[in-house]
Amino acid sequence: MTGPAVAVASSAILNTTFESVARRLAGTLPECHTVEGETALELMPAASQPARLISATIVEGTDVRARRISEAPAVGFAAFLDGTQKSRVAAYLPGGVPIVHGTVAAVIRERRDQRMRTWRHAIERRLYVSRVHVSDAVWQTIGAAGLELCDTSDGSVGEVEHPLVLRESAKHRVERDRERAEQRLGTDWCRSEPRPLLIDGGISNAESLAHAQYAIGVVKSHRTLYVSGDALKTVLALDCAERSSVFLVTSPKRASVASWYLRVRDPRGREPMWGLVRVEVASSDASMSEITRRADEVSGWILAESAPVALPDARWDKMVYGVRDCEEFLRAVM
Amino acid sequence: MIDSPRSDLSAADVAASPMLGRVVATERKPNTPHEFHFWTALDSPVGIGTIVRVEGSDPVNGQILQVYGIVVEGFSYTDLQTPLHAMLGHDGTPDGASYGATKRAEIRLYTAAVLRHVPEEPLQPVPMGAVYLAENSDVAIALRMDGYLRPEANTGIPIGVYRAGGTEAAIFLDADFLIGPEAAHLNISGVSGLATKTSAIEWILSSIFAHFPAQKGSVAAVCFNVKGPDLCFLDQPGVIDAADAALYEKCGVPATPFEHVQYFAPYKSDGFSLNTLRSNEALLHNVSPLTWGLREVLQYAEVLLNKDDVDAKADALIDFIRERVVDRDFNDPQLLGNKHYHVRSFADLETWFRDVLSAMEGKNNDGWRTHHVATIRKVRNRLSNISTRCAGLVTDDGAVSDLPFGSFQDRTVYVIDVASLEEDAQDLIFARVVTKLREHLEKRDLGVNHVVVFVDELNKYAPSDGQDTYVRKMLLDLAERGRYLGLVLFSAQQFRSQVHRRVVGNSGSSLYGRMDADELATPGYAVLSPAVKTKLATLEKGQLMVRHPHFTQPIFLRFPRPAIMRGRDGAERYPQAVDVGLDAAVVRSLRTLDPSITLGWVQDAVGLRDEEEIVKARNATLRERPADVRKFFLAQLRPVVAAQPAARPVTSPVRSAPADDPYGF
Repeated sequence: MTGPAVAVASSAILNTTFESVARRLAGTLPECHTVEGETALELMPAASQPARLISATIVEGTDVRARRISEAPAVGFAAFLDGTQKSRVAAYLPGGVPIVHGTVAAVIRERRDQRMRTWRHAIERRLYVSRVHVSDAVWQTIGAAGLELCDTSDGSVGEVEHPLVLRESAKHRVERDRERAEQRLGTDWCRSEPRPLLIDGGISNAESLAHAQYAIGVVKSHRTLYVSGDALKTVLALDCAERSSVFLVTSPKRASVASWYLRVRDPRGREPMWGLVRVEVASSDASMSEITRRADEVSGWILAESAPVALPDARWDKMVYGVRDCEEFLRAVM
Repeated sequence: MIDSPRSDLSAADVAASPMLGRVVATERKPNTPHEFHFWTALDSPVGIGTIVRVEGSDPVNGQILQVYGIVVEGFSYTDLQTPLHAMLGHDGTPDGASYGATKRAEIRLYTAAVLRHVPEEPLQPVPMGAVYLAENSDVAIALRMDGYLRPEANTGIPIGVYRAGGTEAAIFLDADFLIGPEAAHLNISGVSGLATKTSAIEWILSSIFAHFPAQKGSVAAVCFNVKGPDLCFLDQPGVIDAADAALYEKCGVPATPFEHVQYFAPYKSDGFSLNTLRSNEALLHNVSPLTWGLREVLQYAEVLLNKDDVDAKADALIDFIRERVVDRDFNDPQLLGNKHYHVRSFADLETWFRDVLSAMEGKNNDGWRTHHVATIRKVRNRLSNISTRCAGLVTDDGAVSDLPFGSFQDRTVYVIDVASLEEDAQDLIFARVVTKLREHLEKRDLGVNHVVVFVDELNKYAPSDGQDTYVRKMLLDLAERGRYLGLVLFSAQQFRSQVHRRVVGNSGSSLYGRMDADELATPGYAVLSPAVKTKLATLEKGQLMVRHPHFTQPIFLRFPRPAIMRGRDGAERYPQAVDVGLDAAVVRSLRTLDPSITLGWVQDAVGLRDEEEIVKARNATLRERPADVRKFFLAQLRPVVAAQPAARPVTSPVRSAPADDPYGF
């Protein structure tokens, strides 16, 4: 059960930055203690998700093969979408219940005449608290701090009280809100713009994007690999400007999308996943030749984004410059 | 303090001004009360020298702050952290092994020096705010011109037009700070050959003559033409293009040459040909000879005699001659017996010296009136030499033809052409003219209230190093005290750093044309940013940087080409008259007074008279400018007794020859 969102009539005129909200909470909740200089939750060490291999259905041929993109890279993307989040504990209630101030933002940066401009962006700030661990009065008081209040609990009374678990729950809620913000923007684009949009990350978690013709997801992390055995060897041996065969990524909770691996930079002398990205596009019932044509075309678009490099970002081998530009924009406005 | 700095603009006007940029400040690059930073779009019209207006967002004491600044530095960079990343991005191949689909995020960041805060107090660091291109009214406020452009007390003298991003605003200097008495003097620096310095001075003089406030009285200019034909055709129309005409119109200055110009030039060493490039007969109507006699020169003997020449003893003798001998009846019964002297010219002085020394030798005296014979010989030698060194200017006969001290005319330019003279003669002219101007201004009887003295090549007359000269001392005095008298120095030089710092330091206003990079590296330019120095080193013809007491920062502007015939064009159109004989020279001179005079008439008039007499008559005629030139000229010549044939004397032979003597003996 999700806690009721507290309507805040005055939110339009209240300062909703972290510092202001923390000061207001300290004033209205004398029993809480505020924290200073605490690191953003995203920067704290978190239990890492275990790496895994998942098999997938190959839709281009019968086995995973390396396919060279022979056509010269052509510029195809008109815009780039990325989002970011930042969550910090504004105060701890007695019992160590954290009140987390979370900010999520997403942006689409459109490319016009080779220059990046903001097509649309969104910034949302909320307070995240476990509803089951605070009294009604305290919940109401926190709600008056000027921000939308979100319940991070799953509604069960016997939920764990460990402050770190509560904090982690809050972080995941912020993450979910960030994904929603990205999806809303991406959906808006796909509804109004018949031009390709490169989305940082997968598109399968949003139905509207997973079926959109112009939404192309580029995944940089490979904790989950959709190949194993010989196919894995093939993928890890991909050379620069080579892609794998197209396969279908399916999940009970997510929409099915067509996907393939693509090597965007020369991996010689580097670790096996250097310059390796996984591309997601809407799946279709098209013929195999059409699937091949589409995969080659999109791969060419991504290869065309290899310059300028996204340095000094540490992920520059996989990150396209447009996405780095989105991150810089969000860093500036958050 | 201005309560409503932009009261002349409607709210709609203000809103219509496109925002140019936004003020930005970081801990590493903070804003201060005198400097701020702002960024703009990549295609903004901002450049070095652009004037901008910042509108603060938070009121202070109930008033929104407005800050005016001028761009003095610009930066451009991308998000690239090291050039290595760019190289990596292109696989080390500059010609594009891989095509960059996106241009990197790029910024144009500018630094502006504050011109003015409104309100002035409290003086705070420049606030974050929107940046707008300064419009005409903003420029006036930014440069504090609103203080002296009020309709009831307008003392503005336009000196050019500021242009940036569509804004065109006339820039005015305050006459009180250009001509005095608050400050005064103007100095211009710039490399030679671009015609900027002389052109700028000509233009500014035109502007002064057109806009000098009536309540400040009259003004005239005395210009020393020190090189070539630069100032020889100030009264002749020149060619200006449409762009220049627009600048004239914007500044409200008529695009015409000077209406009233008088030229003065000494003679050449022959004593009858004018030593000037403006010697073409068509232009001689306003050219007068400049000649001085013994009395005029002796007052400035120290200009011509250096310290090695004039020690205390020699100085005492010169004083004695000046006080007791020249223009006085002098006799010394003990040494010279009954002989009386009336020394008026160098020739008279030479006679006097000769007699004194002869008498001393005759009486075997080593000294006379405390002056040793060696000192007398030395002074005689030096003074007698002056008429040789300054031949053409200094006359042996004492004839004087001078500037019209006491009857100077308003809005008139007096040009003294010293371009072809020896350095000594130039110094003498310069020292005497300026001193006379000062004397007359002190007595308020010059004829005008203010005089602008233009001196080019100031580094020659007031160098920063070298021995102290009379001319330099006089220039220092002029720079430091002239403004109280209405005597204003407009000076020019190539290298400001080579001019005595007290002379340039006392110049209330300074102009800079294109500058030499070495000159810009000298300490005097340390206050300028590297970008401003770069702009100075690349200024086009017709562009200037201006410093003025009301402007807290230097301003760049354009000025029109003077509507005056350029020296080079004038020299081609009116070539210098070739040297001619005495008769032709006299004709040329007298024709300026009476065009009907012919060579035949002059030849008949002068007959076989000697050259000295003819020149004397010519000079007297030119000085007097009589109504009947012929009659006056003839009257100056000594009458010639008409030749009569001598009667053959009747002679009788000593001895009559015999009638029959066939040989006649």
